[in-house]
Amino acid sequence: MSGSKPDILWSPHHPDRYVICDSELGLYRIGPVGSTEAKAGTLPLSEETAATLLAINSDTPYMKCVAWYPKHEPECLLAVGQANGRVVLTSLGQSHNSACKELVGKEFVPKHARQCNTLAWNPVDSNLLAAGLDKHRADFSVLIWDISSKLSPETSVAAEKIRLSSVDLDSSTVVTKPLYELGQNDACLSLCWLLRDPKLLLAGMHRNLAIFDLRNTSQKTFVNTKAIQGVTVDPHFHDRVASFFEGQVAIWDLRKFEKPVLTLTEQPKPLTKVAWCPTRTGLLATLTRDSNIIRLYDMQHTPTPIGDETEPTIIERSVQPCESQIGSFAWHQSSQNRMVVVSATNRVMTDFTVFERISLAWSSTTSLMWACGRHLYECVEDSAEGVESLIEKDIATKMRERAQSRYGHDTVQVWRNHLLAGGKDPQLKSLWHDLFYILSVSHMKQCAEDMELKLQGNVQSVVYSGIKNIVKTTSGTTESRRCWSGSDRQTDVPRYHSEERCLALRLCGWISRGTDTDVENFLRSLEQEHEWERAAAVALFNLDIRRAIQILNKGAMAEKGDLNLNVVAMALSGYTDEKSSLWREMCSSLRLQLKNPYLCIMFAFLTSEPGAYDGVLYESSVAVRDRVAFACMFLNDAQLPRYIDRLTLEMKEAGNLEGILLTGLTKDGVDLMESYVDRTGDVQTASFCMLKGSPGEVLKDPRVQCWIENYRNLLDAWRFWHKRAEFDIHRGKLDPSSKPLAQVFVSCNFCGKSISYSCSTIPHQGRGFSQYGVSGSPTKSKVTSCPGCRKPLPRCALCLMNMGTPVSNCQGTGKSDEKVDLTRENKLAQFNNWFTWCHNCRHGGHAGHMLSWFRDHTECPVSACTCKCMQLDTTGNLVPSDSS
Amino acid sequence: MQKQSSGEELLATRNMDLHILDHRLRVTSISKNGLVNFTHPLIKLIFLRNRTRCKFFSLTETPENYTVVLDEEGFKELRPSEHLQVESAIWLPLNVVSNGSASSSSQAVGVTKIAKSVIAPLAQQHVSVFMLSTYQTDFILVKEKDLSVVVSTLEEEFNIYKEEGGESVPVHCQDVSNGLHKNGREAIQPTVHPVLIPKNQFCVMSLDPDTLPSIATTLIDVLFYSSSPKEDPQPSPSQDCVKFFSFSLIDGYISLVMDTEAQRQFPADLLFTSSSGELWRMVRIGGQPLGFDECGIVAQISQPLADSDISAYYISTFSFDHALVPEEDIVSVTDMLQHQRNEPATS
Repeated sequence: MSGSKPDILWSPHHPDRYVICDSELGLYRIGPVGSTEAKAGTLPLSEETAATLLAINSDTPYMKCVAWYPKHEPECLLAVGQANGRVVLTSLGQSHNSACKELVGKEFVPKHARQCNTLAWNPVDSNLLAAGLDKHRADFSVLIWDISSKLSPETSVAAEKIRLSSVDLDSSTVVTKPLYELGQNDACLSLCWLLRDPKLLLAGMHRNLAIFDLRNTSQKTFVNTKAIQGVTVDPHFHDRVASFFEGQVAIWDLRKFEKPVLTLTEQPKPLTKVAWCPTRTGLLATLTRDSNIIRLYDMQHTPTPIGDETEPTIIERSVQPCESQIGSFAWHQSSQNRMVVVSATNRVMTDFTVFERISLAWSSTTSLMWACGRHLYECVEDSAEGVESLIEKDIATKMRERAQSRYGHDTVQVWRNHLLAGGKDPQLKSLWHDLFYILSVSHMKQCAEDMELKLQGNVQSVVYSGIKNIVKTTSGTTESRRCWSGSDRQTDVPRYHSEERCLALRLCGWISRGTDTDVENFLRSLEQEHEWERAAAVALFNLDIRRAIQILNKGAMAEKGDLNLNVVAMALSGYTDEKSSLWREMCSSLRLQLKNPYLCIMFAFLTSEPGAYDGVLYESSVAVRDRVAFACMFLNDAQLPRYIDRLTLEMKEAGNLEGILLTGLTKDGVDLMESYVDRTGDVQTASFCMLKGSPGEVLKDPRVQCWIENYRNLLDAWRFWHKRAEFDIHRGKLDPSSKPLAQVFVSCNFCGKSISYSCSTIPHQGRGFSQYGVSGSPTKSKVTSCPGCRKPLPRCALCLMNMGTPVSNCQGTGKSDEKVDLTRENKLAQFNNWFTWCHNCRHGGHAGHMLSWFRDHTECPVSACTCKCMQLDTTGNLVPSDSS
Repeated sequence: MQKQSSGEELLATRNMDLHILDHRLRVTSISKNGLVNFTHPLIKLIFLRNRTRCKFFSLTETPENYTVVLDEEGFKELRPSEHLQVESAIWLPLNVVSNGSASSSSQAVGVTKIAKSVIAPLAQQHVSVFMLSTYQTDFILVKEKDLSVVVSTLEEEFNIYKEEGGESVPVHCQDVSNGLHKNGREAIQPTVHPVLIPKNQFCVMSLDPDTLPSIATTLIDVLFYSSSPKEDPQPSPSQDCVKFFSFSLIDGYISLVMDTEAQRQFPADLLFTSSSGELWRMVRIGGQPLGFDECGIVAQISQPLADSDISAYYISTFSFDHALVPEEDIVSVTDMLQHQRNEPATS
């Protein structure tokens, strides 16, 4: 600190005052920029704060160290340690009649002059001032002065003897007899009083750290180390001490003082200051020479050291408070993470607040929280409206809602699943309808043998494999030219028929059974759903213009109907196959202005040359199923697979679920689903969809397994445990290989055999003990002894009945109830009968009894057993967030 | 007398540490006439601490010559010359650190304190020592080849540490005993050397290394320009005052020993000394150069001083040894030495 190297001290009691000491002492007051701006001589410290110089004291030359009196009164009393070892009390900015008048100017002189390295006021007994001095062969290096000591008569005698000092000593202010002398023939480089006991003084001596106890000064605790500079106690953890040597900081635990609990990474340059943050636990700031950064070590999460091997983790980071090289810094006593930094030269000061690290956490739902310092923030966006819709659009929210509405679980009316998903997503609608048709077709094939024999063998796989594969195998296609129905005009439009095309049409949902090509049912259902344009298009493609016009009229007249449909009907009625008619010309150009794609393709169909239906086939806003059905009717055997292949590729690339119709639940379908999941993240739909697929190849695909596992994890994360269990059951039905084998068995205490294995009435081994003695069946529930050795099963600790006996409050499980689907109560009653036991104390009994016991108790029900069984069960206290 | 006190001594020294410091020292001498050839390295070693890696430097001017004790890093700076005499051995500095109990019964300090525990036992084992007292501490220099004897002699009473790269490593006898074990036990009867007690008063002082530049000119003046040509290069024993000035810079600590004459040339507020401003008188031991092999010379002086509980500094130089005793005790010391001189004759 002498000469150029400055230091800073905050006032212990005025949060806005600090002292800078270099060659002189300067007292500053810090305040907001606004209030001090007008006054001359203020120094800006930051954008908001500025400092005003209040007083300068240059009475004490050769300053080596300074310490601020810790108590309120007298305020602004400073002890200055000088190069010759004298300690002088001085003051700044005080009126002369203040309380410290008799103290100011008092000097404490060691017997042998040498540099004073450090000063430390006792935080409790504030009369005590410890000074650490350099080595002298005959003298002590730690002197503890009592600043209130009455000047002894010997002092004046000693003062007379001073012949060498040129400073004229006023004998009345000089104290030469310290209260305690410690550390003979040694040097003291740093000092601090221990906060855990104000009688203990920690000193960094030459090559060792020593703890002196003022109650017994002949003893000291010490440890040999190089790290003896800058000893400082953590204000938040009184056993933790930091010290340093050159570039290395050592952290000590006074309870285990033999060696540092931790040494921080060594810096290339020697350290000059190390300080614990007083406002935050475990934050240590360090400064090295010629540096413009302050390095921070966060020991916040450091566990209390237990074993030798535990090297605690610390987070290291650097802050740069100012451009210039830093001379010194000082943490503010109360403002959080705030410090004032002074530059190495020119006394440029900076007010700086260390920004806290931010930790961020997403919940398993949509909320976002972050913590910074002592604050916890929850993320809320400004425009509530936008957020709502954003959150609604988020796939996680959707999946969560869909899981709650049992999406995917309707296995009978499969298409209804899209309604469970909210009914808003056209792709999902298409997907579930596709699956519905696929399943119903394959189901029909199995039951009614109304299909040609040649398809029978592989019908299952053909149906699952999608239209793409079906049309590949197409053969025996017949061509027909039909009349426009209701008119005898021959069309020149060839229409193609074959078994496969027919099957494809059924998968598209246009026709419902067998070779029946009647679309009337389909049209009616479309009318019911008010899909007038689509219905009209379908009617038209079946060459029934009259029906199409009827439908459009109906649509125009229906409630909220579009009257324009009448106009369209009118235009349609003017159809002529005259190649060069005005009608044709106008329709082919004006149709592009029609907003409804179905109306558009109707005119495209009517104005196209036979076999050249690009206007219909590549109208992307028309549902894939309709385009495919159209293609199956009007494209020849060469065109059809080409078109289907092209469309399939397009769907796969876009991840469009409508394409499942083409790919089916095949490898292709998994590829398509993969790009859908990549695009949306909707593992839920992917899982449910692929579970319907053929168990063999599709379900074994690692991608499918990954989606399923992720969906299960997601349900667990939402604490939808019941949903997850339902999903597992659902999955087990469709994919029996996914059922886990029994992993836990209850073995008899006497013979060691599994009591469930020997229970021959149970057909398979899964879920060993859950099945044991718990179902409503009287024959099974009577088993209260080991089937192997006939010895009784253990007794329930609460009811003292042998296990296997149903719990008493579960009565009336007669035979008639069994047939009925088990109600919630019954399921619960079954669970109440389960075996359960603590893995720690091995006591247990009926699950129901145990649950009710631990509702009111923490200890094991067995007397004299103090095991806190339930608390050992980490998941035992969690509550599922789905209520079912 | 000695037997009675040995028990006490053991108790007192049990809490003492002996540190073998991490310096390998050379003892050299520059002749008065040859000093001019060494001004550059000496100035560098004294004032330019950042330019040299020398950690142990001591320069003592006596009427005969300049004794320079310095570590190997510093020794590299000195060019071989006909004016430079170098003692062949490597010397290791030992330092005694009291560890714990500060309540020593004796008020005396310095060599006196270690006279019985270190110096006397070493003298008995025929270990030659070279003493260097400073303001801060006392260094006992022993030859490197004697280290095993030193350790085996002192390890009963001291915890011995060897400092290596800043760490103190405990040392035991077996660690070092594979060298020469014991020095010869012949030549029991030590020579009693003549003493000279000049009239000048000395003071032992220190200085903040940061303020060294501000006394640089004075120091250079005193060190290099003190011997005016009129002065007789050969000291005459009858002379009242003897030129003696010592400067050392060891591990960053400065120590100065000078007579009051020289001290007056320095600005008083920069030099540190004891608040009582004590003054010292010198006892020079040896009529002719003592050499480096004779042992027991320090013990001869320190033993009786210790018996009388008189503090002392002790500075060995290339030719002679010098003890500094408090001014007020010089009469009794003179008597004591006189008595000692007569005693071997009678015994």
